[in-house]
Amino acid sequence: MMKILAAGVVPLLLVLHWKPGAGSPLPINPVNATCNTHHPCPSNLMSQIRSQLAQLNGTANALFILYYTAQGEPFPNNLDKLCGPNVTDFPPFHANGTEKVRLVELYRIVAYLGTALGNITRDQKTLNPTAHSLHSKLNATADTLRGLLSNVLCRLCSKYHVAHVDVAYGPDTSGKDVFQKKKLGCQLLGKYKQVMAVLAQAF
Amino acid sequence: MLGSDPRGLTEAVFPGWRFTPWWLQAGPLRAGWVLLGKEGAVPEINSCFLYKEEGRPGDGGGRTLLLPCVVLGAAAVLPAPRPPPEGAPRLCTSRTVSQSGPLFLRKPGPMAVISISGTTLLLALLSLRTLQSLVLDERLLLTPELINISINSEHQSLHLQWTVPNLPHQESRMAFQIQISRFERSKVIWEENYRSTVKQGQVLHWSWESELPLECGPHFVRMKSEVVDAKFPKPSFWSSWSPWEKVVAQDSPGPNELLVFPKDKLVEEGSSVTLCYVSGSNLKNISCYLDSEQIPGERLDASVFAFSLSNIPFIRKTGTNFFCGNSTHKEDGTVLFVSKVLEEPKDFSCETRDFKTLKCTWEPGPDTGLAWSKQPSQSYTLLESFSRRKEHCQHRSWCHWQISQGSQETYNFTLLAENRLRRRSVNLLFNLTRRVHPMDPQSIKFENVSARSAIMTWKEYSIVNHCTLLCQVELRAEGEVTQHNVSVKVNGEYVLSGLEPGTQYATQVRCASASHFWKWSDWVPQKIITFEAAPSEAPDVWRNVTSEPGRQNVALFWKPLSKHQANGKILFYNVVIENLDSASRLQLLSIPAPATQQELMLDPRCSYRIHVTANNSVGTSPASIVAVAGDPGNGTENVKEERITGTDGGFPLSWKPKSGDVAGYVVDWCAHPRDTSCDFQWKHVGPNTTSTVISSDSFEPGVRYSFRIYGLSTKRIAYLLAKKTGYCQELAPSYNPQVTIKNLTSHSFTLSWEDYSTESQPSFILGYHVYLKSKAMQCHPGFGERTHSDDSVCCKYKIDNPEKKMFVAENLQPESLYEFLVTPYTSVGEGPNGTFINITTQDEHPNILIRIILPMILCVLLIMILCYWKSQWMKEECYPDIPDPYKSSILSMKKSKENPHPTIMNVKDCIPDAIEVINKAEGTKTQFPGTRKSVTETELTSQPVYLCLIATENNYSSPGPCICFENLTYNQEVSASDSCGHGPVTPEEPPSQLGLLASSGSFLKALEKNYTNSLEENPSGNSLRYVSQLASPLSGDKESLPTNPPMLVLCSEYKMQTAVPSCLASPPLSEDSSLSSVTLLGESEHYS
Repeated sequence: MMKILAAGVVPLLLVLHWKPGAGSPLPINPVNATCNTHHPCPSNLMSQIRSQLAQLNGTANALFILYYTAQGEPFPNNLDKLCGPNVTDFPPFHANGTEKVRLVELYRIVAYLGTALGNITRDQKTLNPTAHSLHSKLNATADTLRGLLSNVLCRLCSKYHVAHVDVAYGPDTSGKDVFQKKKLGCQLLGKYKQVMAVLAQAF
Repeated sequence: MLGSDPRGLTEAVFPGWRFTPWWLQAGPLRAGWVLLGKEGAVPEINSCFLYKEEGRPGDGGGRTLLLPCVVLGAAAVLPAPRPPPEGAPRLCTSRTVSQSGPLFLRKPGPMAVISISGTTLLLALLSLRTLQSLVLDERLLLTPELINISINSEHQSLHLQWTVPNLPHQESRMAFQIQISRFERSKVIWEENYRSTVKQGQVLHWSWESELPLECGPHFVRMKSEVVDAKFPKPSFWSSWSPWEKVVAQDSPGPNELLVFPKDKLVEEGSSVTLCYVSGSNLKNISCYLDSEQIPGERLDASVFAFSLSNIPFIRKTGTNFFCGNSTHKEDGTVLFVSKVLEEPKDFSCETRDFKTLKCTWEPGPDTGLAWSKQPSQSYTLLESFSRRKEHCQHRSWCHWQISQGSQETYNFTLLAENRLRRRSVNLLFNLTRRVHPMDPQSIKFENVSARSAIMTWKEYSIVNHCTLLCQVELRAEGEVTQHNVSVKVNGEYVLSGLEPGTQYATQVRCASASHFWKWSDWVPQKIITFEAAPSEAPDVWRNVTSEPGRQNVALFWKPLSKHQANGKILFYNVVIENLDSASRLQLLSIPAPATQQELMLDPRCSYRIHVTANNSVGTSPASIVAVAGDPGNGTENVKEERITGTDGGFPLSWKPKSGDVAGYVVDWCAHPRDTSCDFQWKHVGPNTTSTVISSDSFEPGVRYSFRIYGLSTKRIAYLLAKKTGYCQELAPSYNPQVTIKNLTSHSFTLSWEDYSTESQPSFILGYHVYLKSKAMQCHPGFGERTHSDDSVCCKYKIDNPEKKMFVAENLQPESLYEFLVTPYTSVGEGPNGTFINITTQDEHPNILIRIILPMILCVLLIMILCYWKSQWMKEECYPDIPDPYKSSILSMKKSKENPHPTIMNVKDCIPDAIEVINKAEGTKTQFPGTRKSVTETELTSQPVYLCLIATENNYSSPGPCICFENLTYNQEVSASDSCGHGPVTPEEPPSQLGLLASSGSFLKALEKNYTNSLEENPSGNSLRYVSQLASPLSGDKESLPTNPPMLVLCSEYKMQTAVPSCLASPPLSEDSSLSSVTLLGESEHYS
């Protein structure tokens, strides 16, 4: 259980409470709290969000390929069965919603992906200790997701005064067997690739 | 076991005991097998029973029937339960049961068959029944009680814990029989006997490892026990079975769920493993793959398939994926972590360098570590049996072992390698003194270094008093290697002698144990340079003298001293020039090394002696002396150069000995004569030698080398004796001369190649071949002749003198093409087959054309000027605008046939067949009301109109003579037919020509038709074009007017013409012609 917290949930909490340049935590009970950022959000927030989405979308396929290749057969030849984007509890996204709705949904998705990516990175470091390229790409993606999450929160806070968004975490893989970890990771990255294409278009 | 032969199994339980068949005749127990007592030994068990289990094994309903023992053989048959007499063989029970089915009669061997009467057997059975009722209670009491069954999924094992309640004794030796079923109770897959000493209340343990993962299906376990303790001799029997205990490692999957087992199993490469999947009831057609290869399975149950993989390969450290799924995207998988087989360490060896530590090394083999922490790399442990110490090694291939400060000299090491699957070990027994690898020598120094010797010293690491060392000293200089052995305790010393002065030597030393050689230490190198000494030899000196007016140039050369002669590094050379004619004058030149030559300018009137010495830091070499005479040219002109032939070994030279006292001879030459530097070389030869061979690696084929041989007088004055030149190997010339052509005439030309150098050729030029080729040439005497395929003749002329570089080709044809080629020839062939050069001899009379053509041109110009000047006159005379009929040659020709006297034809005699009237007054813009087109347009788009003019009113009905004109051209056709036009004119046609002209279109059409027919009748198309004309009275010649001109419309000008055949097919008219071809028939009509 401690491992789960250390590997999956704790990084997520850190991500959720990280703000650009400040590191100040969100209010513990932020439902009714006022939205307060110690530093003013940059004026080009949406532009930065679009840029980050485009960057993530541009690298998603390479990350996906690198991942399933590193898992060995039969993953590369059974992508539809083993790596299909069948993630049941993935947060929804409505591209035709208002900007506020879309930003809130984006926040949930990024939070979900950040947790899941943390689990994948942890698993792959154990399972594929020599796959440095994969580790590097996973870390870079997680970094970008963290920045994106911060920017989205800043936007929500500064423009829409939304200080709290309920989020769902990605699946915890720590109790799964190795094959399930590989498969869940592959499915998650397949979903990540799919949803990033939608998000990059929507913003 | 009754009913089948249990001997094999029972003998495994009771080694040495024998089974024999038992034959019964009555009752349900009719026959069976009886275990006899061990021969020669007293059986431990007094109570012997023959028993059978009734009912189906495994269903819990079976029970054991016991029969009393009987004695077989010669002894009397004893009714049970009485014990048999001493020494008689006994019958005992078998411990194997589980065989069901009716007893069958198996006939025993003749020696074992015992006939028992039915009465006796009946009595025995009756007595047994009492005993049976007594023991059944005890059976129930000894039934084991399973208190816990645990599952270890990783090892696929079941762990059983049970007790034996109501154990009658404090401690008993007991046997347990354990059964394990899978999927169903009746499917017993494992049966095992387990013996243990059991105390009251003790919990017993037993484990079983399954080949199939436990998750693949439910398992059932039961057991029974028996007291087998010899301390309790009363009859023993099996207890009842404990109730079946069901073990479930994995709940049944949902209807759409698929599960694959085992999860993340660790196996060894090449081993076997069994996997399974458990599928829900809705899932069909499931395929499974190992990595990418589909694996066939075996159905174990309705929803369970097993996959047995044998000799499983190692693919990657991160595991091999096993994956099952179907088309409905229901899939599961597992990862097999396949480890490489742990190998036994190779080349295990231990040694010490300091008697403090041992270093043990080995080849570890492949790393068996796996990812996911499934298995770390194999570990290595050193165990020493004498000291019972253990050392966990931190490295994969070596380990340090601290030597205890005791007296242990012998070691027995065990190197243990282990991972989670396997252990490997190797042993090594050795004496420490035989495993000494000395430390490298230290502090190597050289003492008392001189030019020829030095003392080398070093120190060895102190290794107590264990051994003397054998050391090797190696000396290396300029490729030469010498080795010396030295025996050393602690301080090593060796005297290096016979060294060369001023030389750097590379030395190195290593040592090993002298008493028990094990290994050399590493070489430890050190360099030494001996001191220098004065050069021992004078440098080899020679000179090359060239004279110029008023001075003498002396190039002084010397060779560097060899290392053996120099005894150090040569720093400079001293050149002392001594003027023999002026004793007071000495000139000293100091030339720094590594120069090997010096240019001197000397007075040609004086003689000189030149001293050359080499100097290093220590001293000066002996001097080398060269004398230069005042007049070096004396006698040199008379020496002729001789040709010599070189060989592979060099140039053999010989000469006549010089008269008088000779100090020796010198041969000099240029090693690279084609280079400007020449690379001057020389060789000294003794005074009694008159031949030598000059050899050098620098000699090349195709290069001419010149040698000069000098004799040296006792005063060191050199006299040229001979000059030799030659090639070590002659080669054919590589190029032909560049030929220039001179004196080209109509009958000769001269070829010249004066620039061709015979000296620089790769062989001696013997002459030249001149090839001359032409189609119109005969070879003159002196030429060789050869005819080519193109019928040309090639003449070959040979020039024997290599210095004759000119050739005159004579007696040639003027204005003829010649081809020539000049190529040198040598003893090894002629030059390359080059391209022939073309040359054309000149015309024999080159100015004749000018002499003729120029006057002709002038004449023509004169005539043209005259013609231009008299052009009007010429026009009137030759081509007037209106030809004069009287001058017509046609008439003359016509008449000449009929009348020899030319006459003028009257117009009235002519019946025109067409008339063209041109109204100049109206011009070309005359409009025709009907068409509203201009004349010009009409003419451009329509055919000209032709009218046939009927001769006269009187003779219209009959064809009359008709002559038509165009200029002076005669219509032969008309004349020949002697009729007008192109057909007879019908009487219905208008009588007058005017009427004819104004006639209807039908008439014109008829005319045109006739005309066309006439054209068609003359398909050849070679009819002459003829036009008859009526000249206008205004513009024409009055004299030429007809006397009775026809009455025409008010025209100012008329033109009468015959049909022009070409006009019908002809086309567009020019503007002029349109004017002249307008047919004026009225102002409102236009026919076409």
